[in-house]
Order: sequence, then structure tokens, then C-alpha cells
Amino acid sequence: MRGFGDLNPAVIMTYYLSVIGTAMFCMDPVVIALSLVGACALFVTLDKKHSLKLHISFFLLFLVMALINPIWYHNGVTVLFVVNDSPITLEALMYGISASAMIVSVLYRLRTFTMIMTADKLLYVFGRLSPQLSLVLSMALRFVPLIRTQTAKVRSTQKALGIYREDNIADTLKGEMRIFSIIATWALENGIITSDSMEARGYGEHRRTNFSLFRFTRGDAVFLALCLIPAAVFAAAVASGEAAFTFYPAMSGTAVTPLSAAGYSAYGFLSLLPCILEWKEDIRWKYLISRI
Amino acid sequence: MLLIKNKNLRAFIVRAFPFVLIPAAAILGAVVFDNSRHLIISLAIAVMTLLVFAAGYEKKKVGTWRMVIASVMTALCVFGRFIPLFKPITAITIITGMYIGSETGFLVGAMSALISNIYMGQGPWTAFQMLAWGLIGYIAGIIAEPLKRHRWLLLVYGVVTGIAYSFIMDIWTTLWYSNGFDIGVYLSALVTAIPYTISYAVSNFIFLFFLAKPFGDKLERIRKKYGL
Repeated sequence: MRGFGDLNPAVIMTYYLSVIGTAMFCMDPVVIALSLVGACALFVTLDKKHSLKLHISFFLLFLVMALINPIWYHNGVTVLFVVNDSPITLEALMYGISASAMIVSVLYRLRTFTMIMTADKLLYVFGRLSPQLSLVLSMALRFVPLIRTQTAKVRSTQKALGIYREDNIADTLKGEMRIFSIIATWALENGIITSDSMEARGYGEHRRTNFSLFRFTRGDAVFLALCLIPAAVFAAAVASGEAAFTFYPAMSGTAVTPLSAAGYSAYGFLSLLPCILEWKEDIRWKYLISRI
Repeated sequence: MLLIKNKNLRAFIVRAFPFVLIPAAAILGAVVFDNSRHLIISLAIAVMTLLVFAAGYEKKKVGTWRMVIASVMTALCVFGRFIPLFKPITAITIITGMYIGSETGFLVGAMSALISNIYMGQGPWTAFQMLAWGLIGYIAGIIAEPLKRHRWLLLVYGVVTGIAYSFIMDIWTTLWYSNGFDIGVYLSALVTAIPYTISYAVSNFIFLFFLAKPFGDKLERIRKKYGL
């Protein structure tokens, strides 16, 4: 089997849908904690830049969102203290912490999703659903870097001609507006030429093909099974009501039964699955290197 | 290109999708599925967007250039989203809707949200951004004539849509946070978003003030030059 990022895009998509999808139906602190650990671990494993700033900003977001709930809601039986005649309750605080932990875990998941699902993989998935949509997507994606290079060229030309000045804000703004206007004209003309060229080459006569080819391998099938079976077990545990948690009026979880224990461990496995895959590849790589 | 031959069906899609089905899908996605299926929802909205766009076609020839121009405008929007503080994305969407047509305006708004989020980060908010920007472009296309005639109206529309965009996005924030619509949380979200709301309104004003006329001239010129 290969690393998580090398799997078939459709399989990766299925994994994200099942791991995020199942967690959302159940506001259970255990599940949220498992989800947060899995999401954070995958991000740390994949993140080669060690972006401490991102972790700090997510933590601040977590704090702010956790505190909004007890300030707005006064449900719950355990009063911690009273501010301006409005009680701050333990239950509302715990709900706020759980809800914001869930949101932060989803944000971590989406970060890794953005890292793994590059533009060509997204196009592969979208292109299957609608070729026209995928064409607009791929053309726009191509135009973005084209426009960026052209902007750099136009800016240097303007500077060389002595037209572009940065003496004060008014001059800078004027210069930037002129560059934007030049770029817009160029991009529109370029677009029309592209469309003429497409027509001349027989666009719309056949099915479109993809730049990257992704095959459905045995590894993909194994991963799909490892992802769907725990998701089904967890969904069964939630649907049967054996893994449930209520915050209001007083916090209460259900007793631990075989099914709920199975559900929690299945979700833990599902949450950590990509990390396990990545770590396994990492260990294998180090082992192979050590043998050289 | 996808062509819808039946005229009644075409008229139905152009009216029903942007105003009934797409908001319904976005709200259903937020309420029923919580935020779990946001990618499916944004995908569904994207497909419906495309149907609206396709329903605007009459001839194949027009189809290709419109689609390419839509891609170019989308790319300009995405490129503009990297400008710090002031974002021309709404302004360009409005201009597209005004000069090329409602359906193209909708497509450019929705696709810009989808594509710029590849760089900025996808999330459940993608569906709502697609919807908000799409509708802004679509309405600009409907009231194109008065917008072209009166400049002050265009600027007012820009400021109003800047504020409306922020309000629509806060509906999403509220739905996501409290699993249902809660007016208290919504109001607090509106208050915390005030700096953003102002920045949206101001950047729409500035960009429409400077870009609307030149862009219109450019599109007119392209049309004349290539005989479209």
C-alpha cells in the first residue's frame, strides 16, 4: 500500500466524507476528542513547514468560540458564577468547548484536505460528474498563474518605461489600476483566441480526457474497506442510541455497552487511519534506508 | 456543449434554480446534514449553477466564447482575491453579470468561490460563498440596464451587496455553530463581523468606481473586434 496522498482521489474523498460526516451527527465529547486528535496528528504528520502560527490561530479561535456559548446561553443546572445577573453554567461552557473543538477538528481536516487534494485530483473527481464544469474549472485554474506571470512582465515594462511610480499612495494606486486594466484587456483577448483555437481543434466533439490518470488499485480497495466498515459500526452505535450524550439540562452520557465501546473504537480507528498509513510508510522508508 | 432544446424547460431552469432550488439545497445542507456534506452540497450547487448557465445558451458558437470569457473573469476574481484588504471579487462578478448576462454572472461568482478556496482552504462555507456571490452576479444581470445607465445606482448596488454578502455568510456561521438558527448568536456574529462588512462595502465601491466603465468598454471592444 502507498501513502495516504497517493490513493485514488475518489477514495480520499470518500474517507473525508465519512470521517467528517459521521462525527457531525453526534455531539459526543469522546468522539470529538478522537476526531480532534486524529485530525491534528494527520496535519502534523503531513505539515513539513511546521506552521506554529496556524496552531496558535486555531487555538485562539477555539478559545473565542468556546466562550461565546456560556455568555449567550444560560441553560444548565450547575451554576459556576454570576455575571451581571446572568448565570454562567458548567453545561453551557462544556457545550461551547465541545462545539468549538468540533469546528477546530474540521478545520484541521480541511487543511489536510487542501494539502492532499491538489487541483488535478479535484478536476479528476469533478470531471467525472460534469465535463463542462471541469472545463471552466481547469481553464480558470490555468489562467490564474498565466495572469500572475503576465502581471510581473507588465509591471517591469511599466517601470522600464518610467511610467510606474511609487512616490505616494495616489501614484501607486494609479499605477496598479493601469496594470490591472492592461491585464484585463490582455486576458480577454487571450481568452477569445483560446476559444477560437478550441473550436478549430474540434472542441465538443468527443469526451474530455484527464491530465493525471488515477487507477483503482487493490490498495485503494483495502483502504476503502478499512474506512467504510468502521464508519458503518460507528453509525450503527449512534443510530441505536447507545453512544449518545446530552448537555442540557444536566450532562449525561449513556452507560458503556459492547456496541458503544465498539463504536468509539471504530471511530478512533477511522480518525487515525491516514496517520497509521503515513507512519507505516515512514517507518518502512527509514528501515529501507538503514539497510543501505 | 450542453444544450437544452426545450424552450419551456430552459425558462423553468433559469427561473427555478437560482431562486428556489439552490437556496433550498444550501439551507437543507446546513440544517439536515449539519455541516457534514458540505462538499456534496457545494458540488450540487455547482452543477445547478452550470445548468442555469447552460440554459442561457442559444447557439453553440456563442457557448464556447462565453464559457472562455467566464473562465477569464473567474481567473481575474481569483487573482484579485490575493490583494490584501480590498477584494475586487464582488465588483468583477457584478460587472460580468451586467455586461455578459445573468447566467454568466452567476457562474463567475460561484466558480470564483470554489477555485479561490483551493488556495484559501475549502470548507462548509464554500457552498454559501458560491451561493452569495452567484446571486450577486445573477441579480446584477437582471437589473443590467438601469445599472449601466445610472452610475450612482451601480455604486449603491455595490455597497448593498457588500453588506448583504456579510449577512449571508453570518447566517452560515450561526447555523454551523448552534445547530439551528439562533437570533442571539446571529446578532453577535454580525457585530463581530463589522470590520469585514465595512471592508467589503468599501472595496466594492472603490472597484466599481474605477473598473465598471473601463471593463464595459473592453468587453464591448472585444465583441466588435471578433464579431461576437
